[in-house]
Order: sequence, then C-alpha cells, then structure tokens
Amino acid sequence: MTALRPFLATYGTALAGLAVVVVFALLKPVFLTPANFAIILKETAFLGILSLGFTLALVTAELDLSIAEVASLSAVVTGALVHAGFGATVAVAAGLSTGLVCGAANGLVVTRLRVPSLIATLGMAAIAKGLGFMITQGVAFVGRWPVSFTGLARGSIFGLSNLAWWLAGTAAACWVLLDWTRIGAHLRATGEAEEAARLAGVATGRMKRAGLTMCGLGAGLTGVLLAASLSSAAPNMAGDHFLYAIAAVLLGMTMFEPGRPNVPGTLVAAFSLKALGNGLVLVGAAYYVQDIVLGLVIVASVALSAGALGRAAFVEKLNFKRPS
Amino acid sequence: MNEITRRDLVGGALALSTVGLAGTAAAAAGFELAVVAFQMSSETHARVANAAAAAGKAKGWSTTILNSEGSLPKHAEQLETLIQSKPSAIIVAMGKPVEAEEQLKKAKDAGIPVVMVMSGASPHILFDIEANEYKVGAEAALWLLGQMGFQGKILTERFDGNVGTRIRGRVLDAVLAENTGVKVVGSHAMARTQSWRDDVRQGMQTQLLQHGTEIDGLWASFDGQAFVIDDILKAQGVKKGQIKFVSIDGGAETFRRIADPDSLLMATVAIPFEAMGSGAVEALDRIVVKKEAKAAITAGPYLFMDATLVDAVNVAQFLKP
Repeated sequence: MTALRPFLATYGTALAGLAVVVVFALLKPVFLTPANFAIILKETAFLGILSLGFTLALVTAELDLSIAEVASLSAVVTGALVHAGFGATVAVAAGLSTGLVCGAANGLVVTRLRVPSLIATLGMAAIAKGLGFMITQGVAFVGRWPVSFTGLARGSIFGLSNLAWWLAGTAAACWVLLDWTRIGAHLRATGEAEEAARLAGVATGRMKRAGLTMCGLGAGLTGVLLAASLSSAAPNMAGDHFLYAIAAVLLGMTMFEPGRPNVPGTLVAAFSLKALGNGLVLVGAAYYVQDIVLGLVIVASVALSAGALGRAAFVEKLNFKRPS
Repeated sequence: MNEITRRDLVGGALALSTVGLAGTAAAAAGFELAVVAFQMSSETHARVANAAAAAGKAKGWSTTILNSEGSLPKHAEQLETLIQSKPSAIIVAMGKPVEAEEQLKKAKDAGIPVVMVMSGASPHILFDIEANEYKVGAEAALWLLGQMGFQGKILTERFDGNVGTRIRGRVLDAVLAENTGVKVVGSHAMARTQSWRDDVRQGMQTQLLQHGTEIDGLWASFDGQAFVIDDILKAQGVKKGQIKFVSIDGGAETFRRIADPDSLLMATVAIPFEAMGSGAVEALDRIVVKKEAKAAITAGPYLFMDATLVDAVNVAQFLKP
C-alpha cells in the first residue's frame, strides 16, 4: 500500500474516471463511440471553461463564487444585444466585457477593500443576478438568432464541435499561462506562499486581481457561448454549472499535481463529470439515481486520492485568509 | 477510520452504483420511451412526466424519466445524449423547443419521434400537446369578474417568466380593458428563482398590507402562488368568499382547498396534465407502434386538450374519495 500511495495520490481520480468509462462501455457500447465522445467533449465546454477560470482564481488562493451568475449576466447582455439586432461582434464584445468587468471588480474589492473573496464574490453573484433580472424583467430573450452569432457555438470544424474547439483553446491558453510564463509562476507563488512571494518581489495583489479578472473573463466567455448555443438568454441560465465547476476544480486538484489547482486536472475532472452524466443517461438511469451516483462517484474519487494524499492540502487551500 | 475501512466503503459505493446501473440497463428492452421533464421540482412538470411514464409502463414499455432541473444547457445536453441511445420515442414535458432546436432536429434526422407537452411548436417534433392558454386565461378572468359583478378592485400575482402564465396575465389585461369597472390596485410579479415561494409571500404580504381592506378579488397566475397567498389570508383571518380568489392549473391540493371552507381559494381552471402525459403515450403508440398517420390524431403542430373550470359547483367531482 505504501508503494501505491503516491501513485493513487496522483492518479486516483483519473483511475476512478477510467473505471466509470469501462463500466459504461460494458453496459452500453454506444458510450465508447467517437460520436458519443464528441458529444461529451461538446457538453464539457461550458463546465470546462467556467472551471478553468475558477482554477485561475484558485491558483492565487482566491475563490470566485460569482462565476455562474456572472456567466448568466454575460449571456443576458449578449442575448439582449443580439435580440435587439446588434451585430455578433458587438454583442460578443459586450458579453466578454461584462465578465471581465465583474472579475476585475471582484479583484479590486478583494485586494483594495480587503474583503475576503468568499464574501466579495458572493456579493458580486447577488449583483449579477439582480442585473440579469433587471435587463430581462424575468422574461428570457429567445429567438432564432442569426447564424453569425449562433455559429460561434453550433456547428463543427474537422468533425469536432465548435464548443470543443473553444474549450481546447481556453485550456491551451490557461496551461501556457500557468506553466510556461512568468505571470503563471507569480500566480502560483501568490497562492502557495503569499508572504514569501511578496518578500521575493512578486506583486501579489496584482496577481490576485489578475486571477479573479481572468476568472471573470472565463465566465463571460461561458455566457456568450451559452447564449449562442441555446439561441436564448435568461437570468441564472448558468446556475446549474456552479457546483459542478467547483467539483471539477477540486477533483482536478487530486490529479497530476495533488493539492494544487491545475489545468489538466480540471479538464479531466470536468470531462469525467460530463462523461458520468452522459453514461447515466445512456444506460437509462432514473433522474434521482443519476444524482445519487454522481454524488457517490465524486466522494469516492476524492476519497481515493485524498485518503492517500492526506487532507492537509485541501484544508490549506480552502482555508482562505483575509488578504494581506 | 483506517485505510482498509475507507477502501471498503469506496469500493462498496462503486459496486452499489454499478449494480444499480446494470439493473437499469438490463430493463431496457423492446420499446424504449424516454421522458424528459424540464423541472421535476415543479408539480405540473412532474405530473405530466409521471403520468407519461406510468402509461408507458402500462403498455410494457421500458421508460426512463430525465430531469433537466430547470437548466436550459442541461435540457439540451440530455436530449443530445438521448439521441445517442436511440430510444423508440421521446416525450418532453414543458420543454424549450427554440432553445433545443439543434437537438430536436438531430432527433428528427435520427428518426426518433418526439412529442412535447405544454412546450410550444417545433417543425422537428410530431406535435405539442397543449391547453389553449388564451382560453384558460379568459375563463379564469371572466369567472373572477363575474363573481365580483364586474365592479371592484383586485390584486394580481403574476409570473411573466413562463410563456403560459404570461399569456394568462395578458388575457386578464385584455379582459380588464373591456371591463373598466374592475381596477387592479396592486400587482406583484414573481421572479424565476428557486425561492419563488418566499418571493410571492413577501410581495403579496406587502400588497395586502397596502390594499388588503379594499380589495374584492385576487388573481394568481398559477396554483402554487395561490397556495402561498391563501395561507397569508387565512393567517389574517379573512373568510372564504370575502375576497373572490381564482388561479389556474388544478390538482388534488387545489381541489381540496376549493372544497375547504377554511381556504380562501374559490376556483381554478384545471389543466389535464395527467391526461396530457398519458395522451402523449397513446399518440406515440398509434403513430410508432400501430403505424397510424399523424394526421389521424392532429393535423397541425398542436393537439389541444380542454381545461375545466372548477369551483364550488363541481369540485366534488374532482375530489378523490
């Protein structure tokens, strides 16, 4: 068991994900077909992009609990403009800006006003939700919108859906940023040893603002793609992704770089969660069974890795201190 | 907890899940009916879905209910995944045909027949089973105004976030525009949130505080709202009949309240949700299994089912013994 421990700590969740794939493949062969995998990839896009944004905030040891509401608000702003006849470029720019501004505001409140991110982003979530309802008056924008806009999310390139390409692009950008640039190193240093990083000359406040702003941008992109994919925009339309995004990032922290938020981990976790949902639908599991199994698998996956890992890494990451 | 115990627990959980999944997969043979409910936590959605599933099972079909949990992305995802499993047919309760147009088209292209209930029309489905919301709204509005003698003041509890309840509100506006003896002195519009009951309670408490002593009538866009308002009025000591009170949807609890002398609710327009669910199954049986033409059931994009006004006069017929 001692020899297995480091292996399980690094790959336990990925192994659990693999076990899930094997079980579904045995029960329903269609699960393993390329067409179904393309669907899972497509379905992973919204959750994946949102989770990758959350990862960038968590790397700096800050939480962003407003991601889902900011994504919904971005969708509403984008949808309102498309619905009013504005061009896709204007609408997309407005949607992305909405996410960016909300993320930047979170960063400023956390670093300048010294409000803990848990509270600051909860406040932002409430504001974003209120603005979404104010713009829509509770009535969703729905229509058969121009292909110039919906084409962002619908359709495919080289057999892979556009949404999957957006996810791949976002993941690549986050991976390069975190693992191959100086800013990435500074973001990590800020999250892992803030005081030491500050003494070493890292602008920790700026890094936290950058992490939260990029998280907001990820939420903005998710919102724009949601609106394009569904040809509609409604307040709270991304709300369903909130807990899953957190679950994906935490599960991701049990893989590849145990205890650290990391891009490959988040990506694999988001894919696994969606594969699980997809497989449950394919085998015809009742809706309540799906919730139960999903919960069991999440807990089991983390237990496999966290047990070997020790819980210290999780506790340390989730023990958010007042920013200095 | 030591390592072995933890492993046992984890293994047990995974094994339990696997056994459960294997069981559900094994049951799937012959005609496979998938029922997708947009939000099972909404009573009306659940009534349609459960009735459809029960009717499917009664025919010996393998049936599965999926719950989109009120999430548009999840709704689209579930439909897309279902198409991969190639069920014999899909029934969608209170779905979103415009938002899920891409998936519905894929279902049609894959030869999977789809019947929707209270969702709206789509060129990619067989038809949508509907109550005519304009007619329903007019019946409720005219019942209320008739009870008031076409004179007096009313409060309204609206919900514009749903197309059906929005139409009911707009029809009420049209009826009021023609009957100027009745004035709306206060109105609250519910937001589409998970805590909508709190929202209704807070909004209506404020309205009743301002106008409670002067109103003659109350209109709620659906029964769930009416239950909340009914409880507020009961707590305030208002007696049945003092305020004429109507809402829309119908159901066991609504009928019980209409018959209950302590409840303020006096009437509803009952939409036959169970009949819609079982009607969808019956239609699929005729079209898919018995190979009848769709035109034999309905020529257009809708199959309308009649709603019934239920008040003190006929509520006894609707109460289960």
